[in-house]
Amino acid sequence: MNKQIVLIRAVILIVMLGAWEIVGRTANPALYVPPSAAIPALGRLLTLHSYPDLLEHLLLTLREILIAYAMAIAAGLGAGFALGVNRLVGRAYGPILAALYAVPAVVWYPSLMLFFGLDAASKIAFGFLLGFFPITLAVLAGIRQVNPQLLVVARAFGADGVTAFRKVTLPAMLFTLVGGLRTGLALAVIGVIVGEVLGSKSGMGSLINHAYGLFRTPDYIALVVVTLVLIVGSDAVAALLERRAQRWTE
Amino acid sequence: MHDLIVVEGVSKRYVTSSGPVDALRDVSLSVGTGEFCTLIGPSGCGKSTLLGILGGLVGADDGRVAIDGRPVDGPDPRRVATVFQDPGLFPWRTTLENVEFGLELQGMPAARRRRVATDLLGPLGLRDFAAKYPRELSGGMRQRVAIGRALAIDTPIVLMDEPFGALDEQTRVLMGEWLLEIWRRTRKTIVFVTHSLHEALALSTRVVIMTARPGRIKSVLELPMPYPRAMESPELVGLRAKLWSDIRDESLRAMQ
Repeated sequence: MNKQIVLIRAVILIVMLGAWEIVGRTANPALYVPPSAAIPALGRLLTLHSYPDLLEHLLLTLREILIAYAMAIAAGLGAGFALGVNRLVGRAYGPILAALYAVPAVVWYPSLMLFFGLDAASKIAFGFLLGFFPITLAVLAGIRQVNPQLLVVARAFGADGVTAFRKVTLPAMLFTLVGGLRTGLALAVIGVIVGEVLGSKSGMGSLINHAYGLFRTPDYIALVVVTLVLIVGSDAVAALLERRAQRWTE
Repeated sequence: MHDLIVVEGVSKRYVTSSGPVDALRDVSLSVGTGEFCTLIGPSGCGKSTLLGILGGLVGADDGRVAIDGRPVDGPDPRRVATVFQDPGLFPWRTTLENVEFGLELQGMPAARRRRVATDLLGPLGLRDFAAKYPRELSGGMRQRVAIGRALAIDTPIVLMDEPFGALDEQTRVLMGEWLLEIWRRTRKTIVFVTHSLHEALALSTRVVIMTARPGRIKSVLELPMPYPRAMESPELVGLRAKLWSDIRDESLRAMQ
């Protein structure tokens, strides 16, 4: 990466941490925690002193995310292709899906808790719900994007429907599809963690809630940092895949 | 001459939102083996539709189309290859992979089709561009890739729908000369659609002039003179005038 960018980024981070330190030291210590207090808390968290069962919670959250995302991919691809292969049906459904997608998803969460209880199932359901829409919409957009001339060419050269789909539609829409999968992952992660924060007995979200509720603000910050690393890490993997797809498509 | 392509009484009507449109009415035409037959006529006269019918991409409402004695009922990439005005290259495939496309669909093993495609790049003038993607090529190069893709499957018939229509005048003339070379070397039967009088006269063994919509055959011009043709010769200048007067009437009708 460009050295200048790295340098500028480091400066921004240092300035942010410095400002945080100054504000944190002058404010109510129960509400604001400066980095000088948060970093030791992070150390205690990672050495399993403050929350000895951290790994269990982390693994549970990860498992919920993976299940929610896998379900969102399966259902999103299924629904997207089922609705999209027929241009007319896809165009009819598109706005309805987009409208549902635009509803702040958190309004569904109470009913999901009623259906699925306080355990992992409701978090998976919420992560699934958030991840499902961008994937479905990306499939629909991707199919619409395919240059019809390319399908005519494929037919002229003897491709049947399945071959044309495999050799033309799929590669032509790949970039859009991978973009949707990336957004779907980010939203599935958010869904699971928000679900945990809103009400649960285990998972990273519940730990965050616990630390926050007991005014253990340094621990709270440390937990947020660990969760952040989880999210940024998963998005970095997705971004890498997206770049590969882009290279391949263009 | 043996008639490779036979079209008898073909009609085609499209239903559009503003009512039915007669694209072709009662068109009959025969094309012999090895001919370079050009269809010319005003915009919207159904030239492309006729080509689509020959290629099996468009169904005729009426009449009979046969290639080598067998009726056409769909695309047949063993006998007919098509080059479109929009080259329709696959942007995620390199030049070589685009040329290989038809062979890939026919299930030719990868190493063999790579060899066939590579051998074609020389005459296509694309030897140094094998690994380039379509976006890295000029318009003329892209169209040569599309022609290479059609030549790769080595069909006796190649249909070309205004392949040089989107190119500038100079590139167009050079591409015409290049195509003539390819045609004389491979001895394929070419059915060519164009708007350009120059192209029609420089390339064809026969020019078929079509009427404004509904498309019918107005007249046929035989061009037995050898290649390369001196376009300034009195004979060709005279033919050009005759061709233009035929097309002019139809183009005026089409503009009404």
